[in-house]
Amino acid sequence: MTGHISRRLPAYAVLAAAGLVAGLALGRVEPVALAAPFLLALVAGVAGREPQIFARLTLDRERALEGEELTATVDVSCPSGLDRLDLLMLLPPNLSIEGGPARAIRLRAGQERTIELQLTCERWGAFAVGPVLVRARDILGLRSWEGAAAEAQRLRVYPTEETLRSLVAPLETQVFAGNQVAKTRGEGIEFADLREWQPGDRIRRVNWRATALRRTLWVNEQNPERNTDVVLFLDTFAEVRGEGRSTNDRAVRAAATLAHGYLQRKDRVGLVGFGAFLSWLLPATGTRQLYAIIETLLTSQIVTSYALRDVDVLPPRTLPPKALVIAITPLLDDRTAAALLDLRARGYDLIVVEVSPLELVAPEPGSTFELAHRLWRLSRDAQRWRYEQVGVPVVSWRDDEPLAVPLEEVNAFRHLARPA
Amino acid sequence: MAGGLLFAWALLSTGRGLGVALFLAGGTYVAAVAAAGNGVAASAPVVAVLLLLAGELSAWSIDERWKIRAEEELNWRRGAAVSALALVGFIMASLVVALSAVQPNHGLAWTVLGAAAAVGAAGTGIWVARR
Repeated sequence: MTGHISRRLPAYAVLAAAGLVAGLALGRVEPVALAAPFLLALVAGVAGREPQIFARLTLDRERALEGEELTATVDVSCPSGLDRLDLLMLLPPNLSIEGGPARAIRLRAGQERTIELQLTCERWGAFAVGPVLVRARDILGLRSWEGAAAEAQRLRVYPTEETLRSLVAPLETQVFAGNQVAKTRGEGIEFADLREWQPGDRIRRVNWRATALRRTLWVNEQNPERNTDVVLFLDTFAEVRGEGRSTNDRAVRAAATLAHGYLQRKDRVGLVGFGAFLSWLLPATGTRQLYAIIETLLTSQIVTSYALRDVDVLPPRTLPPKALVIAITPLLDDRTAAALLDLRARGYDLIVVEVSPLELVAPEPGSTFELAHRLWRLSRDAQRWRYEQVGVPVVSWRDDEPLAVPLEEVNAFRHLARPA
Repeated sequence: MAGGLLFAWALLSTGRGLGVALFLAGGTYVAAVAAAGNGVAASAPVVAVLLLLAGELSAWSIDERWKIRAEEELNWRRGAAVSALALVGFIMASLVVALSAVQPNHGLAWTVLGAAAAVGAAGTGIWVARR
């Protein structure tokens, strides 16, 4: 631990010495009387010794959701006791403690005390809570010793997910069983069509009503339930921040919500983080994949980069054929736009969910920035038009809307504009 | 007045200049007493304790700026410690003034003792500052 002395301790020493010297020089007792209390304070100040402090930091759990509270416990002890112990828990910016991260307590000799702090997780992310800094002081605050006493603890705060009643259905399904009704014919529950009986058809599939009308055997055809491949394409090139909010925060929440929804339907979900740092997860199913996606999302961050990127840098199996690619992007970077148009040109079923940054950068009415803002909005409209020209639905997700709204717009777009 | 201004500056600037303010105030008192002529000023212990309290209470006020949530017991204990220091300091200063009425047999011994105490105080201050 590092020892410190209060500024007044040397001052008291100088005052005491000056008082004694003045008393000698002037031959008077008054300066000596003035020096006496400061001498006493000086003795009290130098009497302290460096303490040995033991501290341990624990969290009641390692994982939490956005907005949840959890308890951080600091156990601290000192064999010799302390008149005053200041504790400061170092916190990353998106975590807060009620009443502040600092506490001051007294420790008797041999006593072990437990301090509980209520931590609020304001934003998703992977955090290191701690370490705990300590400062031991004597009773008058003349001397202090500072150091770090407890190691940091890891905490993962998962993004909150919205409840979605329906998801966007992909145009193509895969060959494995799932919950999505396929367009092909096969064994299933959903009625598709009628056809004449052929050798090999099972009797249970005979449609007796049609058979009675036509006097030949007719059988039901069903659409089988198949799974789909969904790839969440997260644009991490750029973001807009304002008023404590950011487009990347909302994009991560949307990705978590969609991943959860599609994985619940037994679809295979993959993830591509397209930005300065590329990250990807091959499509897979199950709870493990959900946790893998969430863990990858927690570490996604926006880093400024001028590197050229296109989809060729992604491993081949990251984007399976006939996969539904849902791009979640603020449409700020041209590299993402070029990559998405490239995906569309390769025949992928692509949807673009624009995380609208307009609300975060709205100019003051009547200011000179209004014209620039209008030009910016026009350029974004032009970009959206480019996507729509090639059959890509682009929906804008505003800050005050639930995610279900843009997804319904996609379904409406697909209903009206049949993709080729 | 200068001491008062310095005190205010010390409080506003997290303690810088507190020592100078105390020195100025004490020096002013000593100069006034010396100018008053012969005779021991009985107010010296009171002035000494007031100076000490000014320093301690200023430092306490500056420490409280950190806004650390502290147990109430700590404030009571520090108040008691400051009070005890002031009381004992007053007793010591009063003893010094009282002992000055005693005629020493050997003036040189008292002088040497006083010089040793001054050197000891200065040396302690230097040692503390270097630690």
